[in-house]
Amino acid sequence: MGDYFVAHQEPGSRRVRKFSRDNHSPRECVIKIESDADVVIARRKGRSMAADIGFEPRDLTRITAAISELARNIIAYAKRGEIVLLSIDQEKRQGIAVVSRDDGPGIRDLSQAMRDGFSTSGRLGLGLPGVKRLMDEFEIVSEPGRGTAVTVRKWKS
Amino acid sequence: MSTDQGAFTDQFLALLQERLHGGGEDTLQRSYELGRRLLGEGLGVLSVATIHHTAVLRALEGARSQEQTLDILSAAQSLFMENLSPYELTQQTLHGVNLAWRRLNEKLEAEAKRIAHALHDEAGQLLATAHISLADLAEDLPPRSQRRLQETRDILDQIEEQFRRISHELRPTILDDLGLVPAVEFLAEGISKRGGFGVDVKSHIEDRLPPGLETALYRIIQEALTNVSRHAQARRADIRLWRAGHDLHCSIRDDGVGFDAQGVLRPGGHAGLGLMGMRERLAAVGGALSITTGHGQGTELLITIPRENADVSANYHR
Repeated sequence: MGDYFVAHQEPGSRRVRKFSRDNHSPRECVIKIESDADVVIARRKGRSMAADIGFEPRDLTRITAAISELARNIIAYAKRGEIVLLSIDQEKRQGIAVVSRDDGPGIRDLSQAMRDGFSTSGRLGLGLPGVKRLMDEFEIVSEPGRGTAVTVRKWKS
Repeated sequence: MSTDQGAFTDQFLALLQERLHGGGEDTLQRSYELGRRLLGEGLGVLSVATIHHTAVLRALEGARSQEQTLDILSAAQSLFMENLSPYELTQQTLHGVNLAWRRLNEKLEAEAKRIAHALHDEAGQLLATAHISLADLAEDLPPRSQRRLQETRDILDQIEEQFRRISHELRPTILDDLGLVPAVEFLAEGISKRGGFGVDVKSHIEDRLPPGLETALYRIIQEALTNVSRHAQARRADIRLWRAGHDLHCSIRDDGVGFDAQGVLRPGGHAGLGLMGMRERLAAVGGALSITTGHGQGTELLITIPRENADVSANYHR
């Protein structure tokens, strides 16, 4: 299926890596996700952070769509979790990272979850493969019974 | 416009009004969710564009000034992008679709192998056991009953023969061992016997083809012959295989009743899974299918596989 990253560690306690290697301190924003209202907050913060970084409108829509899908998954499968937004400022490029973390049931079969049209909740199975398509980088760590962490990044072109 | 589309247009218009009256991220979020629902209902991008267009026209009826018009258009634009973005989640490259089809075909082949094995070995063994018990029983019976028992055993023989044939057609070992042409000849013989029409196979291909291509062609010919025996009322069918330049061709022609190809293949038309399956199987090995038919004119399926694709399909395992 491709280049998503699978490893076994503890998603719930996983620290968010700091990407910045230069003088700018990374901007970070954590949003608790429990309800649809939280999804709206995450979208608004993500959109505004991405706009500050200088993404064009098309990419703002893609980034908020990814946030929506990740937050939806949290509510659907883990009931609660969080979305972390990171502004990445490296020497040669700028971008945004969206991390979704939960302590939910985890994903038993990752390659199946990454397949198009797959959804255990009987919903439209767009989520993870769709998010991967919208963003430039995609990593997922999931452990059955312990939770799931998805990290996606998009770079400004 | 269907009533559903009408309802969606109303929802989109309501979001647009809300957006115009200061609605923020939550209107965008709801537009996104609406887009997701449209996608789930199976509406295409053009239907979504129509919904959007109708809603915007209705909103513009209320515009009092150029400024308001611009506000409406700008609000509609941001909602429309949200509305469409779920469609971007589903976009797949042609390559991805082909890969998915190959995987599905591989799964089907493995499944066919499993069923073929069950039929041939397991059911076959049970039949053999039944034969032995009947033979035992026969010794205790008077001659008249023995004759009737023999009739039953003849039927069992026929069942065994059928099992053997069906098992071979499901996953012919002959295809792996001897290649496409002998496998197709064997298949043709069986279908011809059961279907009551003559099948003639002529091939001008001497060498073995890549395994994936052999399997794909075998399955397509099998499906085509099944269609002939089910629908065509044909007296005969001809299968030809040849190369022309760099391309590989296969033609399957019958003298049956034909069908309305355009009606069947029209989008939303009632294309049997068979024809679609053939198309997709061919697409997965980079081939193309053309159909010549009409009521009372017989049917010819012509398959063309460019050589470079015939080579690529070597990676497509059985």
